[in-house]
Amino acid sequence: MAKVTIDPVTRIEGHLRIDVEVDGGRVTKAWSSGQMFRGIERILEGRDPREAWLFTQRFCGVCTTVHAIASVRAVEHALKLEIPPNAQYIRNLILIAHGLHDHIVHFYHLSALDFVDVVSALKADPMKASQVAESLSEWPHNGYKDLKAVQERLSGFVGQGQLGIFANGYWGHPAMRLSPEINLLAVAHYLQALEYQRKANQIVAILGSKTPNIQNLAVGGVANAINLDNEATLNMTKLYTIRSLFAEVKQFLEQVYFPDVCAIGAMYPEWFGYGRGVDNYLAVPDLPTDAAATAFDMPGGVIMNGDLKSVQPFSTWTDPSFEQGVTENVTRAYYEGDKTLHPWEGETNPKYNPFDADRKYSWIKAPRFNGQAMQVGPLAQVLVAFAQGDPLTTKWASRTLEVASKVAGTQLTPAALHSTMGRHAARMIRTQVLGELAMKHWDLLVNNIGSGDTDIFNEPVFPSGEQRGFGVHEAPRGTLSHWIVIDSGKIKNYQAVVPSTWNAGPRDEHDQPGPYEASLVGNPVADAERPLEALRTVHSFDPCIACAIHTLDVDGKEQSRVRVLGSVPA
Amino acid sequence: MINVIGLGNVLMGDDAVGPYVIEHLRAAYHCPDGVEFCDAGTPGLDLIPFMADTDACIIVDTVKAGGAPGDMRVYRLEQILANAPLPRLGPHEPGVKETLITLHLAGRGPREVVLIGVIPEQTEAWPGLSPVVRDRVPELIAQVAEELQRLGVPLVKRDAPGTADTWWERPVDATASSHAS
Repeated sequence: MAKVTIDPVTRIEGHLRIDVEVDGGRVTKAWSSGQMFRGIERILEGRDPREAWLFTQRFCGVCTTVHAIASVRAVEHALKLEIPPNAQYIRNLILIAHGLHDHIVHFYHLSALDFVDVVSALKADPMKASQVAESLSEWPHNGYKDLKAVQERLSGFVGQGQLGIFANGYWGHPAMRLSPEINLLAVAHYLQALEYQRKANQIVAILGSKTPNIQNLAVGGVANAINLDNEATLNMTKLYTIRSLFAEVKQFLEQVYFPDVCAIGAMYPEWFGYGRGVDNYLAVPDLPTDAAATAFDMPGGVIMNGDLKSVQPFSTWTDPSFEQGVTENVTRAYYEGDKTLHPWEGETNPKYNPFDADRKYSWIKAPRFNGQAMQVGPLAQVLVAFAQGDPLTTKWASRTLEVASKVAGTQLTPAALHSTMGRHAARMIRTQVLGELAMKHWDLLVNNIGSGDTDIFNEPVFPSGEQRGFGVHEAPRGTLSHWIVIDSGKIKNYQAVVPSTWNAGPRDEHDQPGPYEASLVGNPVADAERPLEALRTVHSFDPCIACAIHTLDVDGKEQSRVRVLGSVPA
Repeated sequence: MINVIGLGNVLMGDDAVGPYVIEHLRAAYHCPDGVEFCDAGTPGLDLIPFMADTDACIIVDTVKAGGAPGDMRVYRLEQILANAPLPRLGPHEPGVKETLITLHLAGRGPREVVLIGVIPEQTEAWPGLSPVVRDRVPELIAQVAEELQRLGVPLVKRDAPGTADTWWERPVDATASSHAS
């Protein structure tokens, strides 16, 4: 019999390696290390800035759209080029749809199985599961027949030994605690979520012409010709299809994602106590409501030391405190020297040595804001918005805490959000806010077109000499910034500072750990052979890098090597 | 519906071969009714929308396998599923097998899958196929054509073939513009 091996070549993103030392069942030290040199920005040097977005959206196979948007915004900033209102709203709708898609996939398909024991669902009583579900939600697909069918299919799967799809699932692990009925519901929603992430993706495809790599962008606007009576352009039929897709996704978010996160959070309340780590938070404003991007529906700002009262808002994308505050340090990264440089001055001079926990150990540079490590991502987005009294964020955060408290039988406060489970809750809260803003930005676009405006593009003009710009986007995984130096119409320098760099970066010149590293310290690990609990914390950040977790005992001997899913950056 | 899917990162040397083949198919052939040509990049589990509602999928990608760079290897659904799934390394892995199994659990997905793999010479972060892989592209296209023929949808050559839009291979000098004023 012939043996066939199929092992697709590892992709651009490389691997994230996490090393933890465990003593007395707790993590005492942690290192986060990017295992592959990227340096991909060098491909852009000398090219036409108008084409940069085509290349940058290939940086990452999953976060394509976000790198395209940050790139056109960077060039437009360098040229001081405003885009038409229609272009702004069309971009916003794409970003919202991408965010909805990304968050649904992360929760259901990439991280829920850290808390859900798939095999246990086989022991569930579907009738009882259905009754529990109907007490939590009006969702029409939680009926006995739906759940029974899922259980039967799962049973066939286990019978055929196909459970490998859940190879990171750690079924039967003592840290798994949901009842068989809740596990069955979660598996049913795992499958239903496939449909809703596709619906969100369809919106990106309609507006972007194509997924995963959209084609409708341009420096200066978008390429979506608008003519309400023309089949081939953006017309009312397409706009109403988009609206009804958003509505369907929104129903799933409110009737499934919301109760699921509240219930799982309530049943693992101790996870509101682990994983705090770096409690400095950074988010940039996004979803501008006007062409000039002077007002935003999602606020940005900075919170230091977990103190919500300390919030310093960013009023615009180009807030000088952001522009001047961002640096990257290479003391502990595989690059020459120990410099701290601003991205416009950024250098990429690789110098590899084998992993050395006391010196250099990662291909990821250490980004800092005014010298401090910052956590980015949905938790930062939600806290920064909540601290500024953003109404939608406040509404959904309050509802989440209220329902989770009721199910848990204890009182959860906003302070609980600084945690591993808090990151899952915040991602869900952010998704609900995006769902509501989808409708608002659809209205903004349709009303603007209705007023007779069909402009979509302003021609960029490149002066001779040097221009510098940066473009930001508050992506699903957090603050993304692209930094460009243009010289007489050509790219002279290009640097992308991505969310997973902020979170997964190494220590710096002052030995300050990055967010992943800090969040793991104190985390329980009951069984070093199966470090499920460490994965829970790493996955809560939605790492856009594959993970290789090494667990060391206190003697430093490697006990297990566990390759796990994670999620580049962006 | 039949999807012909090119997988791989166009910025990473030979990893571009899937999208490269797709662009050359588009340029040289009419896309038959009921068939789509897709450059899907490296979507990981986001491959699901490309496969969920299809009857058959033909995938072109780089593979790690015994043999010399440029060698072609063809795998079919049973072979893809027969091997125990590897633990997922991340959402960026092509995830063909995971996508198929997930769809199977959901009661969907193509009945027929062909993976046309090619062994790469280099996958460094710089665009451009190595000569040994580029030379085999006609063979890969012929394999796609053969599979489509077998599935009952033969490809028809364009009278005047277009130029394949492999934009990532354009040299730096050609893209930088004379737009400076």
